[in-house]
Amino acid sequence: MEKLKKSLTSFLVPVLSVLLAFLIGAIIMVALGANPGKAMASLFKGAFGTTAAIGTTLNKATPLIFTALCACFAYKCGVYNLGGEGQFLFGATMGFVVVHCLKLTGIVGIIVCILVGAIAGGIWGMIPGILKITRGLNEMIISIMLNYVATLFMGVIYTSWIRDTNMPQTPAVDTSLMLSKVIPSMRFTWSFILAVVVGLVMYYCLYWTSSGFKLRAVGLNMTASRFNGFPVKRYILLSFIISGAIAGMGGAADLLGTQYRLINGYGNGYGFDGVAMALIGQLHPIATVIVAIFFAALRVGSTSMQVATGVPTSVSDIIQALVIVFSVAGLALTKLPEFEALRLRLFHKNAKEGK
Amino acid sequence: MSMDVISSIVLAAVRMAVPLLLIAMAELWSERAGMVNIGLEGLAAVGALAGFMLTFYTGNTWAGILAGAVAGILVNLIYAYATVSLCANHTVYGMAINLLAPALASFIYRVSFGTGGGLNQIELMKGVAIPVLKDIPFLGDLLFNQTPMVYLAFALVLFTNIYFRKTKSGLNFKSVGEHPKAAATLGINVIGIKYLSCVICGALAGIGGAYLTTCYSTTYTEGIVSGRGFIALAAVIFGRWNGTGVMGACLFFGLCDALQIRLQVSSLGVPYQFFQMIPYLATVVVLAIIGSKKAGPKANGLPYRKEER
Repeated sequence: MEKLKKSLTSFLVPVLSVLLAFLIGAIIMVALGANPGKAMASLFKGAFGTTAAIGTTLNKATPLIFTALCACFAYKCGVYNLGGEGQFLFGATMGFVVVHCLKLTGIVGIIVCILVGAIAGGIWGMIPGILKITRGLNEMIISIMLNYVATLFMGVIYTSWIRDTNMPQTPAVDTSLMLSKVIPSMRFTWSFILAVVVGLVMYYCLYWTSSGFKLRAVGLNMTASRFNGFPVKRYILLSFIISGAIAGMGGAADLLGTQYRLINGYGNGYGFDGVAMALIGQLHPIATVIVAIFFAALRVGSTSMQVATGVPTSVSDIIQALVIVFSVAGLALTKLPEFEALRLRLFHKNAKEGK
Repeated sequence: MSMDVISSIVLAAVRMAVPLLLIAMAELWSERAGMVNIGLEGLAAVGALAGFMLTFYTGNTWAGILAGAVAGILVNLIYAYATVSLCANHTVYGMAINLLAPALASFIYRVSFGTGGGLNQIELMKGVAIPVLKDIPFLGDLLFNQTPMVYLAFALVLFTNIYFRKTKSGLNFKSVGEHPKAAATLGINVIGIKYLSCVICGALAGIGGAYLTTCYSTTYTEGIVSGRGFIALAAVIFGRWNGTGVMGACLFFGLCDALQIRLQVSSLGVPYQFFQMIPYLATVVVLAIIGSKKAGPKANGLPYRKEER
């Protein structure tokens, strides 16, 4: 009963946050002189209205699912990996460089590219992990600094080393490497399927295996885990490597699925967006995947909203940010002792039963 | 290298260090009360926008600076309420601010100026030369012919040092970051000081952002803060949570940035991005060398609940 109530709160808080965020979004729309009902309708129609729109939404969600799962995995072990963007880009860059230089094609090329991406992302994630466990450094700052380094390194590739004639971008990957669409009429490719599979595997590993249990235990209480004899440092490092590998694999998969080439601005903001989605999904892998799709829908839909009603797309950015502002504050609120007392007073009968 | 080159690099270094210094001081004041705020990037973004808009409409850069401070405070009060009163996780909420504040800033900018952008420019704050001192050869122009904001930023470092080291109220402030429960038993208003630190942090980070639009670039563009909020976080660790150290760190990062631009221009056949990596790599390397174990306020980032024993 108590457990059910807890999971009900953890479900209700994000839902209420979303409603509240949309309410404020509607108020902003009214202030701009637009009809909020019409704007919201065009937002949802743009995201889910047709099969093509759903395909676009799922396609847009793919990289976000990877970075969100990356953030989610690290947080489950109690460490903050804010370097999802760098790991994503380093994975995409190294995957591209390897298949381009070795001139790999076909299914072999696809597998090599994604594996290289995962390894590169894992290495990029390992750096803050090593510095944290050996030097006690703040993993957030190191991982953010490495985001910039990875972005600039990608810049070196597309402006100097593997440049496509006179444009500051790399040539596209070989057509035999491009991932095909799952359903021909919809834009999403097999990279989306891979993202969902990663989410499911992660759920299984975290909740149904003993190492997953230990990893979560480290995340919940590091001191207790240490006294229980869990190798805390090893788990921290492992979670960084796996988390980075998920992002790196995502970079490579997205490269082959939609992006095809390295170009200025690629991946911008994916890392922090992923963190936000993992938090709204309350660090549950499956919920995180759903939240990522929801965010992608907001983005895809906001463009058609702008066209139909003139409400700028940045309103949807504000709605997204408000969802996290409300849901994080809301969850903190439900953990306050005062809130617990209030709940007991309101549901007096239940309280008696509980005792 | 000739004197001219050196002096121009140092000048550029100081100019780049000032916004960083303001933002880093914001974090220093925040962390001294145990509030880890990684939302600096967002606070500086709203500060930059508010600074730009007020200067654009009033023509007065000081109004812009003030507006930057107010905007920073308002946004940071959201963080303060969630982390101090609701005990939300500092890091998570800082991230939330980092997402909300720039979205808000770019929305307000687009609504006010349309999507054209770039054409709306303001006049930058004028430099004030300090008489006599500015005539010192070589150093004079460098150190004593700057905007008042530069002097104020360095004066702030001095004030911070004196406040935390020599005054009783400074010690009280610090005790909240070290051991809030002990502080509370001495009658110190822990919650009040935590809120105060958030107000100061919001104001300084907002001013740091406003500096970017009123003293540095003449217009507001999205992403104008470009990671300074995060480098400022590193500067606080690097500077061991004390004013002089943080100033040194900011000047070092400013120097890296200035060198990077200089090397980029001289082009040695190396892709320019490698030079741009210098400040970020320097941060990683320097932090890795000095480590950060057992430094900084003891209760940094921890929630404070009155009733808890």
